[in-house]
Amino acid sequence: MGLVQSLIRFKERIRVKYEEYLVTTIEILVSAIIGFSIGALILYVLGFDPAKIYSILFTKGLSNPNYLLSKSTPIMLTGLAFAIPMLAGVFNIGGEGQLYIGALVSLVVVTSTHNPILGILSGMIAGAALGTFKAILKVYRGVNEVIAAIMLNWVMYFLTLYLLTEKLYNPKIPHESIPVPEDARLGKIPTPLGDIRLIFFIAVIASLIVYYILYYTNVGYLLRVAGLSPQTAKYAGFNPNIAVIYSMALGGAMAGLGGALLLIGYVYSIDTTMSTLYGLGFMGIGVALLGRNNPIGIIFSAIFFSMLIIGGEMIELLAGAPPELADTLTGVIVIALALPYTYRMLISYMRIRRMMKE
Amino acid sequence: MPREKRKAIEMLNISKIYPDGVVALRDVNLTVYEGEIHGLLGENGAGKTTLMRILYGEIKPTKGEIKLFGRKVSFHGPWEAIRHGIGMVYQHFTLVPTFTVLENLQLSFTSVEKKVSESAVRKNAEKLMREIGFEVPLDAVVEDLPIGVQQRAEILKILLRKAKILILDEPTSVLTPIETRELFRTLKRLKEKGITIIFITHKLKEVKEITDRVTVLRKGRLVGTVETAKVTEVDLARMMVGREVFLKISKTPAKVGRKVLEIADLWVKDDRGLDAVKGVSLDLYEGEILGIAGVQGNGQKELVEAIAGIRPIIKGKIIVDGDDVTKKSTVERYKLGLAYVPDSRLVGLVLDMSLIENTTLTNLHKVLTRTKRILWDRASKIAVKVVKELDVVTPSLSAPVKYLSGGNQQKVMVGREIVREPKIFIVAEPTHGLDVGATEFIRKTLVSLRDKGKAILLVSTDLDEIMQLSDRIAVMYEGKIVAIGKAEEFSIERLGLLMGGVKA
Repeated sequence: MGLVQSLIRFKERIRVKYEEYLVTTIEILVSAIIGFSIGALILYVLGFDPAKIYSILFTKGLSNPNYLLSKSTPIMLTGLAFAIPMLAGVFNIGGEGQLYIGALVSLVVVTSTHNPILGILSGMIAGAALGTFKAILKVYRGVNEVIAAIMLNWVMYFLTLYLLTEKLYNPKIPHESIPVPEDARLGKIPTPLGDIRLIFFIAVIASLIVYYILYYTNVGYLLRVAGLSPQTAKYAGFNPNIAVIYSMALGGAMAGLGGALLLIGYVYSIDTTMSTLYGLGFMGIGVALLGRNNPIGIIFSAIFFSMLIIGGEMIELLAGAPPELADTLTGVIVIALALPYTYRMLISYMRIRRMMKE
Repeated sequence: MPREKRKAIEMLNISKIYPDGVVALRDVNLTVYEGEIHGLLGENGAGKTTLMRILYGEIKPTKGEIKLFGRKVSFHGPWEAIRHGIGMVYQHFTLVPTFTVLENLQLSFTSVEKKVSESAVRKNAEKLMREIGFEVPLDAVVEDLPIGVQQRAEILKILLRKAKILILDEPTSVLTPIETRELFRTLKRLKEKGITIIFITHKLKEVKEITDRVTVLRKGRLVGTVETAKVTEVDLARMMVGREVFLKISKTPAKVGRKVLEIADLWVKDDRGLDAVKGVSLDLYEGEILGIAGVQGNGQKELVEAIAGIRPIIKGKIIVDGDDVTKKSTVERYKLGLAYVPDSRLVGLVLDMSLIENTTLTNLHKVLTRTKRILWDRASKIAVKVVKELDVVTPSLSAPVKYLSGGNQQKVMVGREIVREPKIFIVAEPTHGLDVGATEFIRKTLVSLRDKGKAILLVSTDLDEIMQLSDRIAVMYEGKIVAIGKAEEFSIERLGLLMGGVKA
């Protein structure tokens, strides 16, 4: 009996999971190829040699593991900030603002306490609070989460900007914020790939914890049920609104963590134009989409995006291509990644047409 | 009916098969004469609304032909039907709630004439209202108006577009008796003006009262068209519910035990905020099946959802095995031995989740550790048990349940409740949309559960099911139990009459 069951289970896992992952992987690969092909076409039309550009993109993008992985850290976490609420059926584009507030609060806490752990935790709490606020607006006041996020992103942007330029600037270098104290900075740890920043490992562990929460705890289960079918959640006696709040709190905490880690473990201070923070939240959306909202997938897609960012900078430097080119490539690839949904829609549409004709 | 009258509508051999293979209509013919009020009668799922949505150009028929005043037409969408003079009043109105009536009228009139002034619309509307003899306050905001007046505004909107054919989909379901009387008066006036009216309903009394002729549909097929004056309500009931009993389930007499569920004076509102359950009281005993019959939309759904704790209760009491659960949550009620199998698989299942994840849904507390971790091994054991006990055919335990057939999905929903071993089963439409084999299996399962001493509350719009399975039957009509008694006291005709709102 036990043997039969475990055999059945074993066969299942192999077959179904394998098929599922195979299909997903093929979809992602096909989309990537389409994306890169369209990108090549654009490059060609603009008068660049696609082969040369792509070789710079990949070789330079991957040449420095530490740089690659450090850059992937904040977008991995903002990717989670998008993916978790998405699984619960909420569209969180507020990762940007949550990242700002996370960085800002952790800066204040870490400079006053000299404790990196407190700094990180406070950043997470700040991000979670912002996420929860939006969730409460949505659930109890019917405010659309996208609208709330767009507005709050700007509020957070200008709040951070104001505090950086007016209150938290470094008297010696006025275009920067006060730095994270030396004794509170997170460093690097040695690995076979060279010294890698600690924050990357923290982000990976965070992703794994999120995976565990989503797939192995009742909260994660509730969240996924509510995201796929709110009415079923109600039937089972779960409150779908709670799922919305939990997911936004957890997602916000991840974006806040991203901001805190970036500050305490990588840049140590924020410039007053906020170029160190700007756009990382939005990048997370692409990361989550490419990672198919799966925390493990997001680890890899964040590294891939990081390669695109770094490679893009090098294209600009070495081939004289405009900086927007790298963004364009990224954009095309992200759009191509949405294609699998289109294939599926087309297939079902064609099937209906055929039925109608009969 | 004078034969020299023109045929306004001819629908010939209309069939509609959906991509998933569901046959909504098969070879239905409908002829409506100009200037008559034509009833379209049938139970829920008989295809009345589908047929009318085809006429209105909203759905394309898989097969068939439509003629309007003798000319063949084929609509690509409702806008073309509107141009041909057809108007439809849905159960849910298509008015902008924050606009005034006049603004709504103007908005809809632009589909006929692009640049029409507000004053012109007002003049036309006032003229039309005088002709028909009804009042709608043109400058009132729609959402402030009572439902009956909103419906009148909707009718006015359609007539203003010079509609010659008016389709009303269960127009009285949202109205109070007084509003209904007013509506009927209006319809008679319209008929005198030469407007052709199709009146979709399942209420026999209304058919007798208002229609000239009536077409009866059953399970997507045409039963027949008759002149209303020549038939009785009993005839209509028989036509509507049919006599086919295609399954025989052997059943021993019920061995009734303790009272396990008591519902006292229960009041529940529907999603629109209208009273759906109006003072229902019921007792349910161990070892019996109590069947609740009724046409869909008479409060059954709200009743069972209230019992399960999914829908708030306005007034009343629910007692499960001696425990007053009126204020308790759904999960607490499930733990006390209540099981609920909803009428829709879309509600009961997460189609994109695996069989294991779906059987866990109502068994979650059994697979959680103290730290709220889910033990998937234990969860898959439950799934294996469900698969075994109910013979579920599935490609695997981790395949999304959307790949299962409807019958197997239903087995999952019933099975995961059975393995919980509850005392009370609330089962709604357990065989809806299933093939004969799956239907028989589910019904036999319900009977065997009853023989094991479980109490079963069966809600079904399928009269065969009610007749076959129930030890006692209650009929719900407009939120009230209009009759309750031993199954032997009900003939299918009597049930048909009761469901149609006729005392019998």
